[in-house]
Amino acid sequence: MAEVRIEFHEQLRELEEETLATIELAGVAVDQALEAVLQRDSELAVMVIEGDDRIDGRYLDVHQGILSLLARQNPVASDLRLVAALLHTIMHIERVGDLAVNIAKLVPLMGEPPAGAGEIMAKLEAAGQQARDQLKQAQISFEQRNVNLAENLVREDDVIDSLNRQIFQEAVEIGGSDPHAREWGAHAMLIARYVERIGDHTVDIGEQIAFVTSGEFREFTDASRPGGVPA
Amino acid sequence: MTDELRRREQDPGHDGVVDPVAREGVPIHIEGRATDASKTQARRAQEVVFDVRGVTVSYAGVPAVRDIAFDVRAREITALIGPSGCGKSTMIRCLNRMNDLIPGATVEGEILYNGENLYGPRVDPVQVRKLIGMVFQKPNPFPKSIYDNIAFGPRVIGMKGDMDGVVERALKRAALWEEVKDRLKENAYRLSGGQQQRLCIARCLAVEPDVILMDEPCSALDPIATARIEDLMLELKDRYSIVIVTHNMQQAARVSDMTAVLMPEVRDGDQTIGHIVEYADTGKIFTNPDNKRTEEYVTGRVG
Repeated sequence: MAEVRIEFHEQLRELEEETLATIELAGVAVDQALEAVLQRDSELAVMVIEGDDRIDGRYLDVHQGILSLLARQNPVASDLRLVAALLHTIMHIERVGDLAVNIAKLVPLMGEPPAGAGEIMAKLEAAGQQARDQLKQAQISFEQRNVNLAENLVREDDVIDSLNRQIFQEAVEIGGSDPHAREWGAHAMLIARYVERIGDHTVDIGEQIAFVTSGEFREFTDASRPGGVPA
Repeated sequence: MTDELRRREQDPGHDGVVDPVAREGVPIHIEGRATDASKTQARRAQEVVFDVRGVTVSYAGVPAVRDIAFDVRAREITALIGPSGCGKSTMIRCLNRMNDLIPGATVEGEILYNGENLYGPRVDPVQVRKLIGMVFQKPNPFPKSIYDNIAFGPRVIGMKGDMDGVVERALKRAALWEEVKDRLKENAYRLSGGQQQRLCIARCLAVEPDVILMDEPCSALDPIATARIEDLMLELKDRYSIVIVTHNMQQAARVSDMTAVLMPEVRDGDQTIGHIVEYADTGKIFTNPDNKRTEEYVTGRVG
């Protein structure tokens, strides 16, 4: 039987493409924000902050497109699940963009890294790269409707969680009696925390992929219950 | 186009010239017009096919719709929606003078078709119905072969030449050719309901119309046949202007570019008169209408 409702399915496909392409933009923002931190590049940080308008614009486009599609096309079954998942996903991506901005805003405040900051810097770089990889993995999982790859994001995210805890500990210790070092350490903790939140958003996108595919929503992890590992 | 509306055999002493009506800059009185500047701007650049101005239609002196005003742009789908009895069908039938066939029906106001008064004294209603075709609620093929259904209109208006080509082209445009090309001599009644409706659309296309009016074209069809007709409408709008009346709000939402919402108002006891409460971009009507009655109707709170 020939496909019907061709235009509707085309619109839905375009919305998915726009959503997933926005993951790319957010990934670039994360990359640049971390680069700005590591290189103490305030100009790059400003670019990240200004570039967030593009991500916000994509968010508004997809949001409006989804409202229109819901109102006009009455999507059902797998189409309805995809529409709901895209709405959640674009919101997570928009938050990733905001977290990259949060990181970029700290760049002019941090100044020179104190003595012994090399280890923390290396871990921030590793966490940022891990977040970037997870965003890519979420995008591929969505494109391929690959639930195994989506579920694997939880294990990947453990890497960021672990780095976050290590950075926290090392940043506490680096301060000592030097006020600048204490302040720098606090900022490093915040950056690690923002990257950790980006990782969580990739896991949340993974949960949406599982929902699209199976029709049942389930959280991959539940940190609020006993046995869950607090981030 | 102007000359095409007139009788073929005109009084030779008459120059047949109708003063063009100055239309630029005439504001269209419509409640809740779409405010989206870019869409409005884009639409302004498009050609107006119908300009309906202050139209009141009465049957035996009793008005059925009043003060109707909207425009239909070329190569767009314009939907008329509203509850039963609001005058949707009355209104669409004015657009190709089908109401002329009802004794006692009168049309006041102006309907300009490509700038010319559709009800002007020198306009030939038969020519009007050739240029402005109509598809009805229930598929109504003639009790003839598929081929003869399509060839009927072209033969009546004296089209000469490659009739096989005319039939094939019309059936292809109506997305029916592949399903019937090997059985063109079969009786049209042997087709399914959805195929019969596409045959009626093909029949309408065979005489090379400019506009297609559709009066609840899918109400007798199942969801898949309905979806096929809707897909077909979206294809046809590249070439034709389409006006559709539908009681299925979702259908208007799915296919149309512009939507006019007609609502009845009670006058003189149980007499109702329909009028347009809002005419706007379809996206606006179904996501953020300006008019309270539109909101109540599309959300199902009144009907």
